[in-house]
Amino acid sequence: MTARSGLRIVQDRIAALRRAVISEVEDRNRLIFHILRGGVVVSVAVLLFGFILVVLAGQSTIPDRSIPPRALEEELFRFTSAGYLSLGVLVLIFTPVLRVAFSLLSFLEERDRLYVLMTAIVFTNLVTSLFVLA
Amino acid sequence: MSPFEVLVLLAIAAFLAGFGGSYLGIGGGVFLIPFMTIVLGVGIKIAIATSLIGVIATSSGAAAVYVRDHLTNLRLAMFLEVATTFGAIAGALVGLRLPDFFLFIVFGVVLFYAAITMARIRETAKQRAYQAGDESSLSKRLNLGSVYFDQEDQGVYRYRVERPVAGFGASAAAGLFSGLLGVGGGFIKVPAMNILMRVPMKAAVATSNFMIGVTAAASAFIYYSQGLVDPGLAAMVIIGVFSGTNLGTRAMVKAKASNVRVAFAACLAALGVAMVLRLAFPGVPL
Repeated sequence: MTARSGLRIVQDRIAALRRAVISEVEDRNRLIFHILRGGVVVSVAVLLFGFILVVLAGQSTIPDRSIPPRALEEELFRFTSAGYLSLGVLVLIFTPVLRVAFSLLSFLEERDRLYVLMTAIVFTNLVTSLFVLA
Repeated sequence: MSPFEVLVLLAIAAFLAGFGGSYLGIGGGVFLIPFMTIVLGVGIKIAIATSLIGVIATSSGAAAVYVRDHLTNLRLAMFLEVATTFGAIAGALVGLRLPDFFLFIVFGVVLFYAAITMARIRETAKQRAYQAGDESSLSKRLNLGSVYFDQEDQGVYRYRVERPVAGFGASAAAGLFSGLLGVGGGFIKVPAMNILMRVPMKAAVATSNFMIGVTAAASAFIYYSQGLVDPGLAAMVIIGVFSGTNLGTRAMVKAKASNVRVAFAACLAALGVAMVLRLAFPGVPL
């Protein structure tokens, strides 16, 4: 066996190992990628829309007070810039929460009890701080 | 400074914070908060709230790429997030009663220790390859060991995770600081994973970036509901950070692990100096 063919065998083994590792986790990682990336992209898009509203309304200043979640719906229907800028920020804040919820589902699917428990604790902590502390 | 100038400067700062944050595995709050309070003259509470939003943007933007590129250890992240979220809530509830001086001393010592250790340890491919092997029974039960693909040398590395309990404790402390100071806590999590738990540098950076968004989200909503989020400032930060992470992640994935280490160590040392200055001159808002 020449050194070259030996090297080829090693390279093939490495490539096979890499493919095996990647395909095993590919689907789940892809979805997490889309959740996180999608959250940021949607947030940026809503924020840019908010800035367009600032220009269209001829406002000389950008709103500096956020809209409380309860009053948000009305502001969105009236197409105020403050409403859409606040919505963009909220979309971003909820992106990691959505990701943890997805992790919970994927560990449930794997029947990995220990990690279902841990993810449930993290999710509970998050929801607690979102709604009880706030 | 006119409001327009403030927004433009803030977007540039956020771009740099997003770049540096995604390269180093931190949220970038440690840069943004001093910049906003000192240079832009923004109030400390609004600066913290805006910074938390920036941390979430850095985390989500960067973590997406690192998860796709298989640098992130998802199990390790979940395990440590249990500690950080409890820490963050404790930080928001009781941490405020701890004396500032005590916190800063502990924090400063940890920073300098981590900076020196990270600069001294050299991470070579050979060393990484030797990190596979028997793990402790707890790590094994938690299935923490993982594999990652390093673009630096096109290598696939299997690594074990050591000292899970110590890492869990350090993450709880990191969570406490983020609840307290409005930062992601990445500058504690990365050294904790890299030095204590022996996770390779790039995997540690990616995993830290993945975790900090969750920690910051908890605090960010509290600040939001108290009306402390300025949507204009937050919007500029999100847009700036998003552009920054697009470049930062690309640089980190290709970078040499040793370069990431040195950059991180330098950053920690600078932070330590800033802490000491703050202790020496209590009036300086950092």
